[in-house]
Amino acid sequence: MGRGYIVDDSVEKYLVSLQTASLSSLTGLLIGQSLPQRDFVVLAVQTPQKAKSESDPSERKPVHSLCDIDTEWVTQHAKQVSWTLPGGLSVLGVFLITPPDLEKEAQNTLRRLVFSVEKLISKGRLWSLNEDDVSERVGLHICSKTRRAVCRTFDVQDAKSSAKPADWKYQHGVSDSWLVLKCSVELHVRFPTPDITLENLEKSTKVSLQKWGNQIESSICLVNGVRVSSDSELISGQKKNTKAFPSNLRAQILIHNVRKEVRTCASVQVCGGVLALRGVVHCRAYIHSNKPKAKQAAEALKRDIMNTVSYRTEMFFEDLLMSEADGERGILGQKQPLPQRVFASVPGAGFCVCDYMFPDEGTAEVKERLKETLDCDIPEEEVDLTQEVIAGELLLDLTDSLGGGGNPIDPLFNLKYICLCWTVGGNPHKHGNHTHTPHKLSRGCTSTTSRNPAIHTVLQCHLHLCSFYSLCQII
Amino acid sequence: MVVEKHVMFRVRGGLDFTCQLDRTDESYVKQTLGKAFESVRSAVRSPSLVFGVQNSPVFLWPNRSLQATRQGVTENTTCRELQQHIQINEGDSGKRSSKKKDKKDGTTSIINVDLLTEVTEPVLCSAPMLFRQEGKHHFVKMKLPADCVVSAHMDETIGDVCTHLVEALCTQLTNMEEVVLRHRSGTSLPIPEPFHFLLPEPVGLITAVYPAGVPDTQLEPVRKELHRRLELPDDRSCMRRANAYHFPDEPYRDGYLRSPHLALNHPSLEGTKLYLVQGIYSYHHYMQDRMDDNGWGCAYRSLQTICSWFQQQGYVERVVPSHKEIQQALVDVGDKPASFVGSRQWIGSIEVQAVLSHLLGITSKILFVSQGSDLATKGRELANHFSTEGTPIMIGGGVLAHTILGVMWSETSGEIKFLVLDPHYTGGEDLQVITDKGWCGWKGPDFWDQRAYYNLCLPQRPRAI
Repeated sequence: MGRGYIVDDSVEKYLVSLQTASLSSLTGLLIGQSLPQRDFVVLAVQTPQKAKSESDPSERKPVHSLCDIDTEWVTQHAKQVSWTLPGGLSVLGVFLITPPDLEKEAQNTLRRLVFSVEKLISKGRLWSLNEDDVSERVGLHICSKTRRAVCRTFDVQDAKSSAKPADWKYQHGVSDSWLVLKCSVELHVRFPTPDITLENLEKSTKVSLQKWGNQIESSICLVNGVRVSSDSELISGQKKNTKAFPSNLRAQILIHNVRKEVRTCASVQVCGGVLALRGVVHCRAYIHSNKPKAKQAAEALKRDIMNTVSYRTEMFFEDLLMSEADGERGILGQKQPLPQRVFASVPGAGFCVCDYMFPDEGTAEVKERLKETLDCDIPEEEVDLTQEVIAGELLLDLTDSLGGGGNPIDPLFNLKYICLCWTVGGNPHKHGNHTHTPHKLSRGCTSTTSRNPAIHTVLQCHLHLCSFYSLCQII
Repeated sequence: MVVEKHVMFRVRGGLDFTCQLDRTDESYVKQTLGKAFESVRSAVRSPSLVFGVQNSPVFLWPNRSLQATRQGVTENTTCRELQQHIQINEGDSGKRSSKKKDKKDGTTSIINVDLLTEVTEPVLCSAPMLFRQEGKHHFVKMKLPADCVVSAHMDETIGDVCTHLVEALCTQLTNMEEVVLRHRSGTSLPIPEPFHFLLPEPVGLITAVYPAGVPDTQLEPVRKELHRRLELPDDRSCMRRANAYHFPDEPYRDGYLRSPHLALNHPSLEGTKLYLVQGIYSYHHYMQDRMDDNGWGCAYRSLQTICSWFQQQGYVERVVPSHKEIQQALVDVGDKPASFVGSRQWIGSIEVQAVLSHLLGITSKILFVSQGSDLATKGRELANHFSTEGTPIMIGGGVLAHTILGVMWSETSGEIKFLVLDPHYTGGEDLQVITDKGWCGWKGPDFWDQRAYYNLCLPQRPRAI
């Protein structure tokens, strides 16, 4: 018995291609989608080399003994990988390629790695596994000489459980006709902060984001106008042999406005400041195409919404703390853009991965990062920057907000000032580990806003048209 | 079959309210709160507001020309057509409501609506950003418990109804703003809670907002003003929190049956007029509350029924007393020795009067008849009592105690029938059984022991609002 793993043949090709010098071992991650009965594995990524040697970046330091495998490095890589995965995709487990004599110890190493990876990836998440989720993760061992693969699963919720055998089967085009659920979510999180140190800010952000995450988790999801219920299929009335799936699955998220606790008066907090998270994030989730359940797709989408916001804030604070450590004062200005989410289609597969681009980066950096993290060659022009608006662009479309389509009620748009975020150009400035050239003008545009070319050609001056009072209104 | 002509839409939800206060002077606070409430009103008028019709797959966007999720539902759909999309689970309503449907009471049906916010499909796109503002202040946050009711004719379009609902929500927010400003102290803001009251025509269903935590006694000036504006009597409590209308689809959670006499078909007796208890009471009887008082507790139960009337009309806040508490009260007023507490001794009308006075502050009149057959001659007194006081009457005599909820009396012929609530019932809260078997029912003058003497305790309604 045991679980069945249906693996795309591109993964087979990749695993075969991993050349190992004799007597050395290799680790990596397996990525795909988990269903109650079986899993689909659609991507495999080897753990990147730790220290790049100056002379030859492709030269790998051979790992001879399994004790040399740096668990922390593997798990850190897994975390980076999980940040690139949209909803519906996750790290399903670990693979280990070893020479024949290490086969027995390999099982222990796999177990260690699988548990550590799961632990780090779940840390800091705004959601946790529920009883419908599969808690089995795979540990795949391949003998470098015979190419024989042994597949076992570990229950990550039970540290004392023993490994169970599982089926590993290759198939062509596993993700070819996968469906995607997309949406743009408006963020509106505002919370008081005790005082201004970065650690405190990060802590209050985490607490408030958890509350927001709970709202998302308990929200109603509509797909093409129909409320997702526990048993419904994502595509109703699907005929047996039809290949024509609806190309547009429109997802909507409705948050309940409920009064949970009964109080007699408003809660009052003395605070030293207020932090607000606003803007629109683009989210998506992939779901297999074989009678997919609507509930699973909706859950994958909701988790992607929560993930993309928590990853970004984590990334943002990490970056800030790093620049503080670098000797630069961690400048948390009054208005800071969060990294922008960009997507890239994986060559030969039916899904995209994503990356987060800081305002002073471009597609070159994205390509480089995706190569490093996912061992994936994605051409620069395939990087899709259009799903989210980049800070530095006109935030408001004046014709839209003052014209028809409802009242411009949201204080953000009612304001006396326009948030035009230009920066002083021409000065390279340090951002984390990279030195950047002047901010690139953004490419692409979102389809909903019409663009005024005149504003776009303008240069660079920092404009604070707003008074502090108006800024209060935004918050 | 009663063809319903009207339907009530009730929308409920908690609306987020936040505001930052760094000073407490009057004009600043007023201005800041005003702005904060304005932004809540904006949220209600925004295109992302969604009405979720409970028990149906229909979601409506009232501020987006009534976009709806269900095909065929548009702003021109009538309320009657909308009702067809609603499915109430049979399992939720107990035997009580299925019986009620056949009765003549012709309840208006309720369509409950949830308040939701759509976070997808934003009107405008903007980059995700972190905004920070420094400065010490008080961050005030609460969820405003919005609760609006709009009555509509079955043939009215839901487009109109949704417009009215949004307007009602905005008006309620304005009322809430006034209440918060009026009752705040420093930076402590009371949560404004709406209450609905079903008042006699022409007023109908009205909503008032009261500050949470402020007891009814302190809100008398507010009620005086409301009574004056709505031309309500100035000596009868109509708008205390306890008087709030209990919607037909909201079950009472304490397990007691409410006003079982309403489920009866009153007999027709020529020339007689009906004089009934006015208001809601709970049916208290033997064996309830895990108290086995079979054989001795009937007067206690009748007293409990009377206490429940005063509590539910809002005259007292005290919950219905237990047998022990009743006995303790009698010891406290010196009427019984200390050993009385915990005993199974009977009480009579005099004791009922004493307890009502001591525990609830209610005065009562005692009516004495030397023989049961004389009760038939007390029609005028009883009719007057129900007209002016409207409270349930406890009657004790022979070896039994009962509660009289009303009379049917003819001034000309003297014919009389008594509506009796019997506390000797030992079964469960089954309205069908209670009404079918006459535990709550109409009795003739021969119901009383013709030769025993009876004392009646007639509680007097306080003249207060």
